[in-house]
Amino acid sequence: MGGSASPAAPGATSAVATSILLQLGGAALLYAILKAEQGWQVLTLLGLLGFGFYLLERFPWLSDFATESLARVPVVTAATAAVIVLGFPFVVGSNTYILHLLIVAQLYAVLALALNFQLGSANIPNFATGASYGIGAYVSALLALNFGVSFWLTLPIAALAATLFGFIIGIPSMRTRDTYLALVTIAFGVVVHQLLNNFDWTGGPNGLVGIPAPSLFGHSFADPLNVFGWKLPSQANFYYLAAALVVLAIVTANRLHNSRIGLAWNALRADEIAAKAQGINVAWYKVLAFAVDAFLAAFAGTIYAFYVSYISPDNFTFLVSVTIMTMVIVGGMDNIFGVIVGAFLLTILPEKLRAFSDYRLLFFGIVIILFLMIRPQGLFPQRLRQYGGRK
Amino acid sequence: MTELLVQQSVNWITLGSIYALLAIGFSLIFGVLNVIHFSHGDVAMTAPFIALAAAQALATVFGAAAPIWLVLAVLGAVLCVGLIGVALDKAIIRRFRDAPAMMALVATVALGIVIRELIRHLYPQGSNPHAFPRLVSGVAFEITGVPVSWFALTVVGLTVLLVALLFVFLHKTPLGLRIRAASEDRIVARMMGISDGRVFRATFLVASAIGAIAGLLFASYAGVTRFDFGVMAGLLGFSAAVIGGLGSMPGAIVGGLIIAGIEVLAQTFVPEGASYRLVFVFMLVIVVLIFRPAGLLGRTIMEKV
Amino acid sequence: MSALLEVENVTMRFGGLVAVDDISFSLDRGTVLAVIGPNGAGKSTLFNVITGVYTPTAGRVKFDGADITGTPSYEVVQRGIARTFQSSRLFSDLSVLDNVIIGMHTRTKAGVLDVLFRPGIARREMAACVEKAEALLRASSGDLYEQRYRPAGTLAQADRRRLEIARALASQPKLILLDEPSAGMDDAETDALVADIMRLRTEHPELSVILIEHDMRVVQAFPERVMCIDYGRRIAEGSFEAVRSNPRVQEAYLGAAAAHA
Repeated sequence: MGGSASPAAPGATSAVATSILLQLGGAALLYAILKAEQGWQVLTLLGLLGFGFYLLERFPWLSDFATESLARVPVVTAATAAVIVLGFPFVVGSNTYILHLLIVAQLYAVLALALNFQLGSANIPNFATGASYGIGAYVSALLALNFGVSFWLTLPIAALAATLFGFIIGIPSMRTRDTYLALVTIAFGVVVHQLLNNFDWTGGPNGLVGIPAPSLFGHSFADPLNVFGWKLPSQANFYYLAAALVVLAIVTANRLHNSRIGLAWNALRADEIAAKAQGINVAWYKVLAFAVDAFLAAFAGTIYAFYVSYISPDNFTFLVSVTIMTMVIVGGMDNIFGVIVGAFLLTILPEKLRAFSDYRLLFFGIVIILFLMIRPQGLFPQRLRQYGGRK
Repeated sequence: MTELLVQQSVNWITLGSIYALLAIGFSLIFGVLNVIHFSHGDVAMTAPFIALAAAQALATVFGAAAPIWLVLAVLGAVLCVGLIGVALDKAIIRRFRDAPAMMALVATVALGIVIRELIRHLYPQGSNPHAFPRLVSGVAFEITGVPVSWFALTVVGLTVLLVALLFVFLHKTPLGLRIRAASEDRIVARMMGISDGRVFRATFLVASAIGAIAGLLFASYAGVTRFDFGVMAGLLGFSAAVIGGLGSMPGAIVGGLIIAGIEVLAQTFVPEGASYRLVFVFMLVIVVLIFRPAGLLGRTIMEKV
Repeated sequence: MSALLEVENVTMRFGGLVAVDDISFSLDRGTVLAVIGPNGAGKSTLFNVITGVYTPTAGRVKFDGADITGTPSYEVVQRGIARTFQSSRLFSDLSVLDNVIIGMHTRTKAGVLDVLFRPGIARREMAACVEKAEALLRASSGDLYEQRYRPAGTLAQADRRRLEIARALASQPKLILLDEPSAGMDDAETDALVADIMRLRTEHPELSVILIEHDMRVVQAFPERVMCIDYGRRIAEGSFEAVRSNPRVQEAYLGAAAAHA
């Protein structure tokens, strides 16, 4: 059995049709899950999802066809995606709960993408993503509350602060590996959490309240959004903001993955010594992974802080880091699409299966173990780079 | 001043012994399996819960609440946890032995979460802290006016005894020899006919049992037990093992004493130090790992290039 | 014209074990040096010292006029020394093409800021890499080129070796160190390997090669200069014939009795 006997490449029309239908179908499924009220409805939809996945596994040419279709007509794909993302709130209407879920899911998608650089691309364990997330949130909140700095200005400042933190965590990573490194990152996470909890100026265990809503061109994000005569709830403002961040994160992830940096990360994941023998400064790339992760996580943290207008140290614990890690592992290591799916799944499902909310952590733990035992590469395993060629 | 010194020294050695016992469990498992059993702390902290449940059950069955039940319950818990450790290895941890280190790590972290949640759900009122009795009470003697409790003496004595027994086991018995051989080089050990299964079962049994004792002493020392004590116990025990050098028994003891030392110092000299103690401990861990990545007494494994 | 590589009194000690004992030699541009010796003699360790994996306990390594003793391995590649490994260390879960492109790491420049903020430039550089990598693969073997999108871990042994060499060449080295390239090959594959190395020398006349080998078929093909190492010490150096008939060499390989047989 040699390489796959590649089926006829999708023609332009079928590619367009597939791309549009696939994305609309996905959006519809997401909408259905979000709207579902009863547990059994959610489980049925989940079953549908599972069946779809089973089909993809059984007939790999299906997923190949899908990806090739999407890639064949990039303009159509991007346009459809834009329409869906921009139009979703209109379909959702005034259901603020759904909007809220989407915002949180998007923020976690960004966090998962951030962690993916380390965990997925470079196989560096990082249990401190929650800490970077928290630093971003706290720095921006403190700037806004104490110095009246506008949201837009706090974004880059918080990101820089967190990146500095990322560099600092990165330093031990240069000399330590695997389990020791994991311990260092856990230690950092705990230290940050404890410090946030104990300092007065961070509000202590009660955290910070009353973070002002951002405003853009005079329009405050706390006000409903009026577009073409439609009135969207104020959450829609944050929805679009989060969506913009997700796009930014995807572009960043894509560019890094397809560059010599992404290759260097993959190389050091596979074999550090061989990577060094190709001239890769492994220590630098490890630190870089931490820094990039922290940078993106801080953006997410800032948006989160201004969205909920109240943050406390308990929002940024070790368990948050573990949750993000689960999303990457379950979704697919080093696979941008997979990681986003993982984030959405693991944010929305626990909310929907509310009856089991008390069992959420137990569920997470069991899911991680099962995945690692049965399907360690995640739902959507990493794809080899194509460079425009065919398999 | 001397009283403070003596008091804190007693605390230090007591706490240090407990941490050392925890660390020994981590080091033992790592040495043989080359897997960090992140959930060892959680496994260890199931012991107080099992003991409490068993003691209550015995008291209900036999009508009277006598100290003998507690003793039996404690012994039962130790054995039970030892077996739990073996079962977990067989069911889950074994599969990650040859997997990349990262996977085993994340899996055992997840396992820890599962164990904690199971305690929380299975034990009545699991989310609340539960009082745990001091197993040995009373004051033994005084040094410069500072009372030294029987409990402190028991902890230290028990630790010394266990360490000695462990040493004899590892160095003088055939099974212990096999464990040390497998710890040096698993593949060669297997080629020499040393049965993987037996070695791992024995290692997990011993490590988990010692961990259980540490857990019981920890709960005793604190006076309470909570389902998430395993997190702290695990982190502190693991840190102690890492500082001392994973795989090294003397390292585990040294690490345990160092960590306890920092905690006691922080508590004594830093205002509101208690809440910061973790910060100090972990900062030390980070520093040690930067300068001696394999721990103080650990052996650096040279990779063949 | 000074030598390309100068190894001066290099000693490498691991605790009590002396792996390399006071070895000195020099290598000119465009020449081949074959290093032979029984297993565990310290040949790979010597490579590791030259390429910066280990810092020698004593002695110096000079390359292209500069002292590179103790320079970290990633910098050594920058200066123009590439190597292959005894147990092939390919990036198994990456494609064949990716492996070669990674080899070009030191000859490309795009950093984080370039990749993120000047994507056009970064992408053009990558596209150029892809072209060069494909050319390297094609030159190595048509077969390897055909398989360029497959994960490196799925290759057959002979192709793995070729890929390792192609990856090493990708950094445009002045000196290439081949560590037992014929390990695990049968006669036909070994002959193909020899042909590959010879072609290499024709295509890159300035390239120097140091070859660790056990298979005398390969050493015989490059008989001008052979060095034999035993217990970390150089015990003979010269042409293939001279070294082969040296009684100390025979003793090292076959034992004292055989040498005098």
